[in-house]
Amino acid sequence: MPAIVVEGLERSFDDVEAVKGVDLEVQEGEIYGFLGPNGAGKTTTVRMLTTLLLPTGGRAEVAGHDVVREAGAVRRAIGVALQEAALDPLMTGRELIRLQATLHGLPRAEGRRRADALLRRVDLDGAADRRVGIYSGGMQRRLDLAASLVHEPRVLFLDEPTTGLDPVSRKTIWEEVAKLNREGTTVFLTTQYLEEADQLANRVGIIDHGLLVAEGTPRELKGQVGRPHLELTLAGGPSDAAEEICNRFGKPLPAKDGKVLVELEHGAAEVAPVVRALDEAGISVESLDLVEPTLDDVFVEKTGYHLEAEEEAEPAPE
Amino acid sequence: MNALRTNLRVIAALGRRSIWQTFRRPQLMAPIIVFPTLLLAIQTGGAAASVDLPGFPDVDSFLQFMLAGSMMQSMLLAGNSGGIALAVDIEMGFTDRLFAAPISRFSIVLGRLAGTATLGALAGVWFLAIGLIFGAPIEEGVWGALIVLLLVSLTATAIGGIGAAIALRTGSASVVQGLFPLVFVVLFLSSAFFPQSLMVEPAKTIADYNPLSTIVEGIRDPIISGFSATEFFDALLAVAGIGLAGLLLAAAALRRRLRTGG
Amino acid sequence: MRSLANRAAIAALITRSKNELIRVPGAAIPGILAPTIFFLGLNGVFGNLVQLRGFDTDSYLSFIIPISMLQGAGFTGAATGVNLARDIEQGWFDRLMASPTPRWALLAGMVLSACARALIPAALVLTIALLLGAHFPGLIGLFLSALFVAGMAAVAAGWGTMLALRYKSQSAAPLMQAGMFVLILFTAAYAPLDLLQGWLHDIAVVNPVTQIVEAVRQGFVGGVGWQDTWQGLVALVVLMALMLTASLRAMLRFNN
Repeated sequence: MPAIVVEGLERSFDDVEAVKGVDLEVQEGEIYGFLGPNGAGKTTTVRMLTTLLLPTGGRAEVAGHDVVREAGAVRRAIGVALQEAALDPLMTGRELIRLQATLHGLPRAEGRRRADALLRRVDLDGAADRRVGIYSGGMQRRLDLAASLVHEPRVLFLDEPTTGLDPVSRKTIWEEVAKLNREGTTVFLTTQYLEEADQLANRVGIIDHGLLVAEGTPRELKGQVGRPHLELTLAGGPSDAAEEICNRFGKPLPAKDGKVLVELEHGAAEVAPVVRALDEAGISVESLDLVEPTLDDVFVEKTGYHLEAEEEAEPAPE
Repeated sequence: MNALRTNLRVIAALGRRSIWQTFRRPQLMAPIIVFPTLLLAIQTGGAAASVDLPGFPDVDSFLQFMLAGSMMQSMLLAGNSGGIALAVDIEMGFTDRLFAAPISRFSIVLGRLAGTATLGALAGVWFLAIGLIFGAPIEEGVWGALIVLLLVSLTATAIGGIGAAIALRTGSASVVQGLFPLVFVVLFLSSAFFPQSLMVEPAKTIADYNPLSTIVEGIRDPIISGFSATEFFDALLAVAGIGLAGLLLAAAALRRRLRTGG
Repeated sequence: MRSLANRAAIAALITRSKNELIRVPGAAIPGILAPTIFFLGLNGVFGNLVQLRGFDTDSYLSFIIPISMLQGAGFTGAATGVNLARDIEQGWFDRLMASPTPRWALLAGMVLSACARALIPAALVLTIALLLGAHFPGLIGLFLSALFVAGMAAVAAGWGTMLALRYKSQSAAPLMQAGMFVLILFTAAYAPLDLLQGWLHDIAVVNPVTQIVEAVRQGFVGGVGWQDTWQGLVALVVLMALMLTASLRAMLRFNN
């Protein structure tokens, strides 16, 4: 049985359609990466799947239960760590996890045992009796993750779990998520970071403007994009003349960080001819990189822009 | 001359900003207008029969007596609100932007006070209008209304100086906000809501020495009886005293903030 | 099994709420002191009103005790709403809503904690009042006072949490406080009903909180009787039913 089934899921806020009809399935034991820029509908989708927001259309099942009609059963089966670490700054880490255990109906002794084990697992046992308000960002995220695991959920929802964290903290979270998955937890992970999706996810879904525009394993998706591209840093920056020359050799891509990008129709063999043509036109190349397809390329292919250059703000769920 | 003109422009601009801030966030108007009006309504309805007490001043109604007290309450809360707004500016870093500009430091405080004075005058107009609508005339007429508005604006400025001093010293909106109950302590220990001679000890004695009582009597005078130069100048003196204390404290707090950065 | 779990969840949420008092005392103290400040201030200002014919007591202190006690309940309930609004803004409330604990149990935890906390400012007012010479209401009068204070706190918590769930923002705080302020003071607060004038008299007559005020006041100004008690109880039950239903409804619709 799939862990998550979504059919035509929709959500509108007044006249803003945040999610316009998403279909997806996540198998038991999978890590599913849900990619998209700010405003794409990621968080809205997650909030619907975690019963924190009612859909305005379509349906979804999590752990075999309908998110609207069987919300209580869904809540018993899921763990949730949302975009904002949902913590109480006046509580200690230990109190918070024990409270979470009580809210999930765990007997007192069992709740305490699990709380202590989880605090050790996320390396917070030293700070467990200090108030959450003084924890660093990384500590808060680890505590948030631990709190979402106290009842051993079948499905874990992580909404941008490493946004704002330093590289070391991010790596720690990745390792923990991978370990959880090895132990059998299905993970639905939303992220803005391509590297995160590439590292962790078995399959990736790309959402843009409320619709799923691509889905597959990272390898499959990159394979769809197919060809390498050339990134050129030109003396004097991008120009119409340079772009016209590059267009003769391949498909132009949106400029990034002041560089000219072109997808090479015939691969690496065309690097030298491109540089020669630019040189003949009096355009000097300061540096060049031949880049193999990445998830960012997939993103550009499917949406027309780079994931890191997100523009719009997500309509706030009411 | 140029420097003076520049500073006046800065003060006017910052004063306008503080007024627009208040109007754009209705919850900032609540303490200045809504709460004092509610309390006025409750007290005039609830204690109206007190005009029958022996020794109560000769008034048309308890409302006529209470108007000055409500204005005083509004001024105290306006000063508190101004202090909170300045503290929020400090917390947000907006004052750093002002400090980095080529303007006189103290004009930043004076700008805030100019806004508070204007809001005080508007609140004064509001309560005078309520009085006229609900049958509490101003005995001294138009001239009396102008005296009231003058005293009310000056009081708001003076109280605002104290609010600004606390904001500059602490840099914390929640500390300034925490002084809210103190406003009521000071008010209750004055003749804002009842004739001082009819209050109960020890409030009665404390009210005698409370400068707010002097100011309230100065505001009340043109409304319930007629202009008295003694009451007016006594009130002015009390306002000046509080104002001077507020300005000195604010200047000291500003110097400290500029010196230590916090 | 689930009912045991629900009771444990309610108890855990009540325990959590004590943090506001113990761990941030600076935030709690104004709410605890304010009713006493108002009590002393009102007596200092209006104390001689008892000279007017129509007062059935010679002690203004005794007359206004119920107002201050109920004001404390109102402040506490409004603070419950403000705290919930803060929890919503900070995301903590999502954690509660994503748990399998039923909505009514989440609300019960908040409301019951308000009922318990409201007894603190009430006890302070009562202690100060008795020290200053107010009439002792007797054990039944004391019990009724505690009951009505806790009940009024539940009404106020229902009101505050409903607004918090509706507006999802602490900027609704003035509305939470003003609502209770108006409800409690638009009664025979400062003077007996017969001495009130104009529109305030008319409102006080129909305001159910007037019955609650009289039910608490009776012990302090004369003696406890069944007439005032049952009228007060009916008013309290009706208000609690209204506010708590509205709040629960708001919570059930929170995810809409």
